[in-house]
Amino acid sequence: MATSGRIAFEGIWKEFRKGPAHDSLRDMVPALTRRLLTGRKDQESSSRREAFWALRDVSFDVGPGHCLGIIGGNGAGKSTTLKILTGILQPPRGRSILVGRVGSLIEVSAGFHQDLTGRENVFLQGAIMGMRRDEIRRRFDQIVDFSGVGEFIDTPVKRYSNGMNARLGFSIAVHLEPDALIVDEVLSVGDASFQHHAFKRLKEMVHGQIPAVIVTHQLNRIVELCDSCIVLERGAVQFHGSPEAAVSAYLHEDGSSQRENPPDAPLRNLSLTPGWEGVVASGSSLELVVAGEVARLLPPDYRIEVAVRRVTDGTRIHGFCLEHAGLDLPERGPFSWPLNFKANLNTGLYQINFFLHSPVDQRAIMEGPRVLLQVEADRTFIGDVFMGLAAR
Amino acid sequence: MKLTVVQDLVRYRELLFQFVRRDISLRYRQAIMGFGWAVLLPLLTMGASLVLRAVAFKGGGSADAPPLAALAVKAWAWGFVAGALTFGSQSLLSNISLVTKIYFPREVLPVAAIVTQCVDGGIGFCVLAIALPFLGARFGLAALWFPVFLVLLVLLVSGLALLLAAANIFFRDVKYIVQVFLTFGIFFTPVVYDPSSFHGMARAAVMANPFAGILVGLDLALTRNLNLATTHMAGARILWQPTDLIAPILGTAVLLVAGLGLFRRASAWFAEVY
Repeated sequence: MATSGRIAFEGIWKEFRKGPAHDSLRDMVPALTRRLLTGRKDQESSSRREAFWALRDVSFDVGPGHCLGIIGGNGAGKSTTLKILTGILQPPRGRSILVGRVGSLIEVSAGFHQDLTGRENVFLQGAIMGMRRDEIRRRFDQIVDFSGVGEFIDTPVKRYSNGMNARLGFSIAVHLEPDALIVDEVLSVGDASFQHHAFKRLKEMVHGQIPAVIVTHQLNRIVELCDSCIVLERGAVQFHGSPEAAVSAYLHEDGSSQRENPPDAPLRNLSLTPGWEGVVASGSSLELVVAGEVARLLPPDYRIEVAVRRVTDGTRIHGFCLEHAGLDLPERGPFSWPLNFKANLNTGLYQINFFLHSPVDQRAIMEGPRVLLQVEADRTFIGDVFMGLAAR
Repeated sequence: MKLTVVQDLVRYRELLFQFVRRDISLRYRQAIMGFGWAVLLPLLTMGASLVLRAVAFKGGGSADAPPLAALAVKAWAWGFVAGALTFGSQSLLSNISLVTKIYFPREVLPVAAIVTQCVDGGIGFCVLAIALPFLGARFGLAALWFPVFLVLLVLLVSGLALLLAAANIFFRDVKYIVQVFLTFGIFFTPVVYDPSSFHGMARAAVMANPFAGILVGLDLALTRNLNLATTHMAGARILWQPTDLIAPILGTAVLLVAGLGLFRRASAWFAEVY
């Protein structure tokens, strides 16, 4: 495996035209004739085709051993970015750099022909992805083993289930030995056990000495795989930084809660310092330091509350009032509270934050910073949620 | 620029091979259909030309009537042209999901369609080679001209297929135009008749079609053992003259260069336009 791979974007711009051009001679020839005869342009067709920028000045540079995540809403420009990287689209401005043989885990079964058998499709799709025949032959057994379609390998793929199709495609893709890796939303292939298996394999590939760029909506995967991440919004880089910060930025760019607290806020210099790094095993004991400074006298009922949310759907999993732990805010001046808690959570990405809460008004007065918690549970995990079951 | 295309094709020969293998194995999966593609179509063309010959040339008894062997060779060659242009012009559209999702030199697709058609043609030729001696063909050393014209034919058709395949992405109705071209092209190309039936300007007009020179050349070299570097007469009729080579060579060169060049320039837009 070469260590010289590189994936980079230098100030890329990309424009698309809205509305249809003439896509048949039947439409174009009369339009051209009219233009020739009357000497003016077809008003309707030219006004419909205004340009819009799908990418605006996007830059990044991923060296060997690094992994960049790209997140953003639908239409933010993620797929366009990958298409320019792989050379399917050409940018009018900027430079796209891709050094080395690229492995793209994009549309991993796009080349499958329904009438061909699994075996024939492995060779076809492998060639489409840039593998040589002897390479495929050498890894054929591994590919089939990995996909788990073994006994059906000589059956036409039209008889496969969607899951089998995708699994076989994915297996071919992850048996490439690329110098650079591009991954687009293929992490949700197959059932839970295959996903687990596939993700492990992808992690091995990403953490080899190659550069990787990953696009996915599974934000927890971004945090787990990447060492940096950009947030795209309407074609522009909204944020570029650590995956945790990028995920937070992405989740809150919709303005559902304000990050900026006013200068006359009752609390200042709020911080939340996690005592863990990277992925945490379910059930492990963790530390967290909540700190800040009381700026002015607060009504006596104000509390600091810590809340845990699941990132993927925003469900609040847990809330805890620090008053119950015997932690009361000072009247004025700094405070710093080391906390302990257990990550009794299932696999996933969680967000911990704290806020100043008024039980009387039933609302949050102000919000502190957030940290992310990535939990990996073994498959025997049983979660308990308190739902207030009681006899009537 | 043309060299980079060749380099790309060499680099992606594996993919080319796999596309050809896919198309062949799909076409020949049902042996009868496969046989049909390779043999039945030229046979049908041949049958049609026999009917025309009987009507036009007083039951085939006229001196102008082309020999059966000539009909067979030209029907076979026209079958190749029809197949190559049909599949070649459709090659990008029928693989559009790959074109918009995965990068590879797009020339691979039309070229693979042509190569597939060559395999088909090869099978057809085996049948043709068995039949020709019974149809009155005379083999000889001049048959060495045959591969020369074959190469011209493949290159000419490749250039056209590249142009049509690219045009098909931009204009969805190109496929109908191709079908019209193939339906009427057989009348403007000496498949069922011989250009030697014409004289002067009329003959020149017929031979200005690059396909005409190639088809006639294929036939004369293979079934008449004629050295095509010299002029051949049959009575007052000109069977062949060396200037008949101009249109095929010029046409092939122009179409191939235009095809490769325009295809490459257009290919940056394929994923965008679709």
